[in-house]
Amino acid sequence: MKRLLCALLSLLLLTGCAYSTGGTDAAEADPEAAESSTEYLEAMDTYMTLTAYGSSREAALEDACAEIQRLEALLSTGSDSSEVYALNQTGSGVLSDDTAALLEYALNLYDSTGGAFDITVYPLMELWGFTTQDYQVPTAETLAETLALVGSDRLTYDSETQTLTLGEGQAIDFGGIAKGYTSQRIMELFLEAGVTSAMVSLGGNIHCLGTKPDGSLWRIGIQDPAGDEGDIAAIVSVADQAVITSGGYQRYFEDEDTGETYHHIIDPATGCPAKSGLSSVSIVTGDGALGDGLSTALYIMGLEEATAYWQAHSTLFQAVFIDDEGAIYVTEGIADVVTADAGFTVLTAE
Amino acid sequence: MGEGPGTKRRKNDLILLAAVVLAGLALTAAYGLSRRGGADAAELTVVVRQNGEITATYPLAQDGSYTITSEDGANYLVIEDGAAWIADADCPDQLCVKQGKIRYAGDSLICLPHSLVVELTGSDALNLDGVTK
Repeated sequence: MKRLLCALLSLLLLTGCAYSTGGTDAAEADPEAAESSTEYLEAMDTYMTLTAYGSSREAALEDACAEIQRLEALLSTGSDSSEVYALNQTGSGVLSDDTAALLEYALNLYDSTGGAFDITVYPLMELWGFTTQDYQVPTAETLAETLALVGSDRLTYDSETQTLTLGEGQAIDFGGIAKGYTSQRIMELFLEAGVTSAMVSLGGNIHCLGTKPDGSLWRIGIQDPAGDEGDIAAIVSVADQAVITSGGYQRYFEDEDTGETYHHIIDPATGCPAKSGLSSVSIVTGDGALGDGLSTALYIMGLEEATAYWQAHSTLFQAVFIDDEGAIYVTEGIADVVTADAGFTVLTAE
Repeated sequence: MGEGPGTKRRKNDLILLAAVVLAGLALTAAYGLSRRGGADAAELTVVVRQNGEITATYPLAQDGSYTITSEDGANYLVIEDGAAWIADADCPDQLCVKQGKIRYAGDSLICLPHSLVVELTGSDALNLDGVTK
């Protein structure tokens, strides 16, 4: 009986503790563990919100904002003082450590995805007007000419000297992994600053550090890609993970003459917006840059190829796929932390 | 349970146990109620931020439409039937209009050219921390 009482009492104390302070062990160590601050900023052509908890949060957020601005200054394709701008202008250059790290991510992804992820699609993005919002449907001739420039296999990179040389007429853009790389850096800076609980959204790319201050998982909604009613297709609960989504419903334009819509995820194989049968791909992973690049690549691949890719790399990431009919597919590693009103099919590693 | 204790001791144990259980139930009920109170979608707030600063808040439960202006331009915000959306804007990309509606806390609408964010705060049935899109 005594033991039972003890157990009940401690349970009660635990409940009481969680209720009053929202705290875990960390809460006792840090009286401000449940206190949060949020920074809002515009960078990398998107809008970012950064929320951090605990007594180190202010300094950590300041570090994170400085890091975002530093990386943007390196990677912006539009700013004439950036490293990437200079590379695209001159066709060759010695990369700084961050750009070299991004390039290595990009080249690995290019190889492993069979070219579905390709930083050299930039001339195609320009051709379609996605870089300037001066949209146009290219003629078959200009499309073929531009497509001929594309291919990371035409990049020459010496990792010893960190020297990159572009092929004739090529241009690169790290936009497909920059936000994921940046959120990864923010998590590192948060940890260094002593923050153990945080969530950032870099233009809809979510990255969570630890759990919520009360020890529960972060609940991340995946937007319903069909319709514009603000519905949530699925919810995934995570700790220490990025949840990064690509979908053709975010950025698109409509051809006034034909009424046809064209979205911004260009398939490097065709030079045209990907039509793979998927309407949204969400990657769940501890590696932000990988998640960012894969969300695009697997969207382009389509369900069958994407599933095969996951089966071959299932230790690196998990995924939620939503097809054009609204059917939801969840890889088995996160099947127990995903909920969806419409139900879902579990993809297994076999 | 030991053998030694007499019935009185046992009775005290039982009373204490009952008290503990009752207290636990009361606490759980209070916690549950507070959660349920917050789960009412009618309690969500539409927060308008311009250049990172809150410039207006509206209850999501109260239908209305508002023109949000800044030196960058104007966005026409509509709140109706438990959802908020930007129905019109004079920004070049129209991405804010294309984003459609938001109806859950943690979701937001963004007009980058106008440095405008419309976000939903409060708690509702989904209890989301963020929305990936």
